[in-house]
Amino acid sequence: MKRLTFSTAWLASLTLALTPVLAACSGERPTAPSDKAPAATGASPVRGGRLVYGLSADAAGFNPVTDQFATTSYSMAGTIIETLVGVDADGGWQPVLARSLTPNTNADEWTIKVRPGITFSTGEPLDGRTVKANLDAQKASPLTSTALTPVDSFELIDPMTVKVKLKGPWVAYPYHLATQIGMMVPPSALADPKAASRKPVGTGPFLFKEYTPGSRMVVTRNPGYWRKGLPYLDEVEFRILPDSQTRAQTLEAGGIDAMGTSRDDDITKFGALKDAYTIRRTTGMAVPEYMFMLNTAAPPFDDLRLRRALAYATDRKAVISTLRGGLTEEADGPWSKDSKWYAPGGDYPAYDLAKAKALIREVEAEKGEITFEVITPPDPNTMQGIELAQDMWRKAGVEVRIKQVDQADLVNRAVTGDFQATVWTQFSMPDPDGEYVWMHQNYAMPVGSISLNFSRLKDSRLSQALDSGRSNPQDDIRKDAYATVQQRLRELVPYVFVDHLNTGAVIAKTKVRGVGDYLLPDGEAGVPLTGAPIPSHPFSQIWVGNP
Amino acid sequence: MILLRLVRLLVVLLVVTFLSYVLLNLLPGDPTTQILGLSASEEARAQLRAELSLDQPLTVRYLGWLGGLVTGDLGTSYITSVPVAEALAERLPVTLELLVAAQLIALGLAVPVGVAAARRAGRTLDQVLTTLSFGLLSTPVFVLGVVLILIFAVKLQVLPATGWTPISLDLGWNLTSVLLPAVTLGCGQMAVYARLLRTDLIATLQEDYITLARARGLSPRRILWRHALRPSAISLVTAVGLNLGALIGGTVIIETLFGLPGVGRLIVDSIFSRDYLTVQGGVVLISVGYVLVNFAVDLVYAAVDPRIRHA
Repeated sequence: MKRLTFSTAWLASLTLALTPVLAACSGERPTAPSDKAPAATGASPVRGGRLVYGLSADAAGFNPVTDQFATTSYSMAGTIIETLVGVDADGGWQPVLARSLTPNTNADEWTIKVRPGITFSTGEPLDGRTVKANLDAQKASPLTSTALTPVDSFELIDPMTVKVKLKGPWVAYPYHLATQIGMMVPPSALADPKAASRKPVGTGPFLFKEYTPGSRMVVTRNPGYWRKGLPYLDEVEFRILPDSQTRAQTLEAGGIDAMGTSRDDDITKFGALKDAYTIRRTTGMAVPEYMFMLNTAAPPFDDLRLRRALAYATDRKAVISTLRGGLTEEADGPWSKDSKWYAPGGDYPAYDLAKAKALIREVEAEKGEITFEVITPPDPNTMQGIELAQDMWRKAGVEVRIKQVDQADLVNRAVTGDFQATVWTQFSMPDPDGEYVWMHQNYAMPVGSISLNFSRLKDSRLSQALDSGRSNPQDDIRKDAYATVQQRLRELVPYVFVDHLNTGAVIAKTKVRGVGDYLLPDGEAGVPLTGAPIPSHPFSQIWVGNP
Repeated sequence: MILLRLVRLLVVLLVVTFLSYVLLNLLPGDPTTQILGLSASEEARAQLRAELSLDQPLTVRYLGWLGGLVTGDLGTSYITSVPVAEALAERLPVTLELLVAAQLIALGLAVPVGVAAARRAGRTLDQVLTTLSFGLLSTPVFVLGVVLILIFAVKLQVLPATGWTPISLDLGWNLTSVLLPAVTLGCGQMAVYARLLRTDLIATLQEDYITLARARGLSPRRILWRHALRPSAISLVTAVGLNLGALIGGTVIIETLFGLPGVGRLIVDSIFSRDYLTVQGGVVLISVGYVLVNFAVDLVYAAVDPRIRHA
């Protein structure tokens, strides 16, 4: 690289050419006051300016009915398309495009009243007919129909009211309307799904400007946005930068103003530069869990003793100190300790090599030598974790083979049960009911069949508790139910939990304010970050000030 | 001659596309899971398989795809529902520009380096250049890319770290956005070319006609550039054509590293998402490009060395 020689003049001209890239986002005072100022920023928002935001992946498309949404899709499309419901900072659901959602006594019917006075950027009004058309389309879509299995039908009650009839009680139904299932697009977009996939339209704070697949998407302020005074930014450019290291370097070089990450290296590095960068990390229910998922329907992990032995042999503290720089917390269940749903109990096997060895000896005395295969995607960070675990398990007396498979193959093996153990990251839904299909015995199919309960654990107590959490509106009953879920998971160990992976974060230059600080339409603070491994958040209340 | 080459091109295309079709379909992983997500029902998956003809035998699907290819229809992406030809056309200019820029940088640096090393063969400059060449050859592009970004984008802040500006938007910005990726991609090739040229030049400089030229009193510079360089460039020209494959492989890494929306990244993303038709389209594009470039290289031989034309 030293071979590269640049003349001084050439370098100077290049620097001049690059000046616009390095120019700071400029802003001006707002001409109209916002309806509610964000609570946590501690300064008055400034209207104007441009934000360049680094994302880890492109979207498969922007049509919530036909395209599968990842967190990066929510970041991009969420600036344009809004949901009926949002999630507040306490983890409760709140209306957004809906004015209200009201269940009947049994929670097997929900009445959605549409917020009046909202139009799409196409000029089409948001009304009950459009909401029903969207919900019908979602129910018919192969992408989302399984999640909507408990829904029987949608009925237009009056021009601004839709009734949702369910097959049984479902108290957490509104949470699903905070995902792509609840995203509202105009009738013209429903009629032309291909166009909607490339050029999203909605009621949101920004309008689609341009999109280059694999490179960038640009959205501009929607002057007719129904929430007066918002958004603050004039324009947001999303840059698709799949390599995490160069994404971080681009932030350092000034090419982007903020980025999502899941690397503890970034949190440590940028965290040390407090004057230049701010870091917002995922908390509570938004934090996914890193674990080893075991196939309980196939040998050797159809034997509970061996599942417990593996958990006893796993030194979670060592993983956290070695691989996460001490940033994460040990996990003993699917929900982190700072979530209101966390409940202790259930005797999760804490690290105890002697107990692990004893259990393995006991099983080997009956069944012979125990060996198993663990599958993993081939990325270096995951491989480090697997090799560390392999070493721990070997010390307990189990021979472990590591098999690298790509992500698509790994997912396919999990779905069809063609695995013994696998690296896994899951459980970041805002409400525990969001994990229903992954844990309930009704969704556990035999090996070889497609099963949404990947571990294939069939436990009636756990499933009854999930049913109870789904059907009871009282918070205390639901908490008891999900305490049982956690207890059974700790006792039956379909997952060897390692840590709550709260390294999902957004890193921004200090001039970028309000990342994760926003108010929902009726004034409640919204949940700061959602999604895993790299989280997303709304952009309407982000603003740029002085560095 | 040209007709024969076209026939060869067709045979290569048939073999390559059939093999890639078979290999892709042997990959474990179900495209319907990638398209519909984890929570899709078995019925929905089966319906989608039928819609995409994935329930048909492999040979039937291949022949159907081949029939489409003849009429210019490369199919539609499973994942994005965008026609494959359109997706490739969107990405091709980025990869082409990257490849051309990398080759120009590689050749532009390799020729003076190779000549200088040959001229002072065995002396200090030759040894320094040889060491540097081997250093570049043994440095993986992803390491070199990260180091170059660190120096020119993070420390000096004279070039963008990542991103892409199309020529149609702004030529200046386009050139700045392609420079670091092209240098990263071209450095390894430059080392190969410089080594080849040095070796051939040293051999040529020992030919009788060079001795004669020296005896006639021609200056060393004139001998080197006018009489020795051209006949020594045959291996170099061959390598430029053959290395296209290595360069295309390099673009996959470079495009991911620098966030460039090119064909290489499209193909890799499509492999991971089991988007078979997009991968097939990319394979066709690369195969045709590779064969055509090497066809052009054969034509260049004659221009470089008239003896080949007369042979």
